Amino acid sequence: MSASTFSRTASVSGMLAWRALILVRRMPAVFIPSLVMPLFILVATSGAFHGISAVPIGTSSYLAFTLPFATIMGAGFAGINAGMTLARDIEGGFVDRLIASPAPRLSLVAGPLTAAAMRSVFTTTVVLVAGLIGQLALPGILGTVMIYIMAASFAMATACWSMGVALRARTVQAAPMMQLVVFILVFTSVAYAPRDLQTGWLRTVSDWNPVTRILEFSRTAEFQSMSWTGFWGAIISIAVLMGIFGAFALYGLSRLGND
Amino acid sequence: MTPAIVQTAALARRSIFATFRFPQAWFPSLFFPLVLMAIFTASFGRSIGFIPGFPHVDGFLSFAVTGAIVQGVLISSVGAGAFFAGDIEGGFFDRLVSSPTSRSAILLSRLCASVVLAGGQAIFFLLIALIFGATIQGGIVGALIVVVLAALLAIPMAGLGIFLALRTGSAEAVQGMFPLFFALMFFSSTFFPRETMTGWFQVAADINPISHLVEGMREQIISGVNWQQAAVSFGIIAVLAAIAVGACALSFRRRLGGDA
Amino acid sequence: MTDAIVVEGLVREFKGGIRAVDGIDLHVRAGEVYGFLGPNGAGKSTTVRMLTTLLRPTAGKASVAGFDVATEAGSVRRSIGVALQDAAIDPFMTGRELLRLQATLHAIPRADGHARAEVLLDRVGLTDAADRRVGTYSGGMRRRLDLALALVHEPVVLFLDEPTTGLDPTSRVALWEEVRRLNRESGTTVFLTTQYLEEADQLAGRIGIIDGGKIVAEGTPAELKNNIGDATLMITPTDPSRIADAAAVLQQFGPAADGKPGAAAIRLSEGAEGIAAVVRALDHAAISTAAIDLHQPTLDDVFVVTTGHRLEGDASAAPGSGRGRKGRRE
Repeated sequence: MSASTFSRTASVSGMLAWRALILVRRMPAVFIPSLVMPLFILVATSGAFHGISAVPIGTSSYLAFTLPFATIMGAGFAGINAGMTLARDIEGGFVDRLIASPAPRLSLVAGPLTAAAMRSVFTTTVVLVAGLIGQLALPGILGTVMIYIMAASFAMATACWSMGVALRARTVQAAPMMQLVVFILVFTSVAYAPRDLQTGWLRTVSDWNPVTRILEFSRTAEFQSMSWTGFWGAIISIAVLMGIFGAFALYGLSRLGND
Repeated sequence: MTPAIVQTAALARRSIFATFRFPQAWFPSLFFPLVLMAIFTASFGRSIGFIPGFPHVDGFLSFAVTGAIVQGVLISSVGAGAFFAGDIEGGFFDRLVSSPTSRSAILLSRLCASVVLAGGQAIFFLLIALIFGATIQGGIVGALIVVVLAALLAIPMAGLGIFLALRTGSAEAVQGMFPLFFALMFFSSTFFPRETMTGWFQVAADINPISHLVEGMREQIISGVNWQQAAVSFGIIAVLAAIAVGACALSFRRRLGGDA
Repeated sequence: MTDAIVVEGLVREFKGGIRAVDGIDLHVRAGEVYGFLGPNGAGKSTTVRMLTTLLRPTAGKASVAGFDVATEAGSVRRSIGVALQDAAIDPFMTGRELLRLQATLHAIPRADGHARAEVLLDRVGLTDAADRRVGTYSGGMRRRLDLALALVHEPVVLFLDEPTTGLDPTSRVALWEEVRRLNRESGTTVFLTTQYLEEADQLAGRIGIIDGGKIVAEGTPAELKNNIGDATLMITPTDPSRIADAAAVLQQFGPAADGKPGAAAIRLSEGAEGIAAVVRALDHAAISTAAIDLHQPTLDDVFVVTTGHRLEGDASAAPGSGRGRKGRRE
């Protein structure tokens, strides 16, 4: 990619990201769930399963244990939303407008991707503030930064997946497909209990699930017990997710206009 | 048979067949409760022995199956409401109303269909749980009580869905209410015992009628047949059903223009 | 003069072997307004989507502004402006925001883009509404905004896909005026699809009629009308008993044609100029007339003759059902 193509892609992507963020703000039906869902997960999960606090899970507070689950799910919702916006844009014809212009096609994916990462910053902040209200200890600067980075990375990975679905299905009706995979990915990691406590099939699945390393590293970031092993495990997992989902999205992008 | 009963049966049959014809109508109501039940069981199964206040059970699956049943009834009831709203949007409702079909048959048929489907769902979940090692302390009688209560629970829940359909006339709006009901279930003892909760969350679960409803059903599975608890569940269902059906009847009248 | 659009043997086949566009040839000259006329499903939009690089052709070649749509898509996209059917406009954004976004898509520097947005808003009369969300716009306002969006980068060729479908007559006329002005002042080539005969007649210098994926007729509106025959003149005598006399007089001016009951009709080969002579001859024969009707062939007639069915409001008439002009005029 030449320097000028790169700068063009960057400027159009920036504009599309800006648009995506504007739309979130102007559509209450999108904005309110993105605010409420991570909060709901935090409060409902930690409240309903408070009893787990008595079990060795690395902390004496199930609320603290749940917090990264909520930030990661919030990021997942931001990613899903990128796919839903793209699907709506394909249905509504906005994507045609973009493709018929000389704007680099890559920006069609890169713009919403950026927006999803930015939205995850918002949802993560909401969850962290709720944690503070729930009297959780501050994770320190490095820990906080890492929680944000994990969320943003997961938002981008799920955005790639959702946009890939949108580019194939070309209808908002495909939203359940986007949601299903993201939910299953997160729920079959270490969302509700650490791996040591998991049994049977879930233990096997979570061992292989890339989201496990991302969630586990977010937890160590929260408890200020990060390790390089955990860090690299998370980075590799993100790379794996981005690789698979990114390729899926780019393939969908290349098929646009073919049939 | 009187015409009203024939009409009700015919319309109920239509609703049931329509449900089977569209996988999106029944698949989520079986799939999601199963997945959550499986994940919760594998996540918490090893821990429950260490949690003060957790009732004595022979495994988390036996505890969790009631939650799955109630959740399944909830999801399919929202689906029933959305289906009804679809009938309103698509004009089938108007066609029915303008035909000599009795008004109560329109409402009753949908509720009957939901009751039948909910009973079937409950049997399905119990069988799956049994296959994966759950036990039913109440035996056949306990299982029957659970199935009957689950089937009856479809009346208030589907009633609520239909009420929303009559008020909004939009399938999307009815589906949009789902997260709210789902939240209500989380703020109860559907997934975990109230005894292990603390603070305001426990207060919320104590007040939430869903807690007592679920516990009355669960008791039959984890402890044995308990008619008193079953009566509590039945009482809650009866009260909720009266409210939901009453609200349906009122909004039905309102939709038809006041004093029908 | 060079050709702005050249199409040779263009084919688009969809899944299941349906040929939406079945081997069409087109030449649109630079600076021309070309009207692409046809009913729903005739292949208009599919053609436009191929010419605007939104859809790859199955076979054949097409070039726009001198660039091949398949191999030089980037250059094509820089040269064209596109206003697609159903105005693909975001209801949650304002008109000004959309124009600025469109300028970014065309890599117009920020300051220039902002200035251009103001010029275009003024031009299409949307300055006052510029900061309102597009969702609050009327249909006519949306189409005008859509047109402005297509003009942000001053394209050489402008594609308008059914620009006035669903608009009220006033908005339609306003949009026509805008397109005419654009063509006149900037020399922009306009490729316009429409299912309205009047629109094609009003705007287009040349017209191609597409039906079932094939071009069935092409030419200027006048040529197309002349090709299908002469005007029909119909005389209704005041005294119904003199209809035979009237017919006899008329016969000197052209072959007899079918008219209403109580009237005599001929095909007038000389066109409207011939009427005066007819009237004088009737006067000479002392036949007083209650009504004189001259029916010029319309594009509607052209359409019926070339495709065998009507364009608007007559979807039930199957192709080749033999409904001709007479049928249509009953």
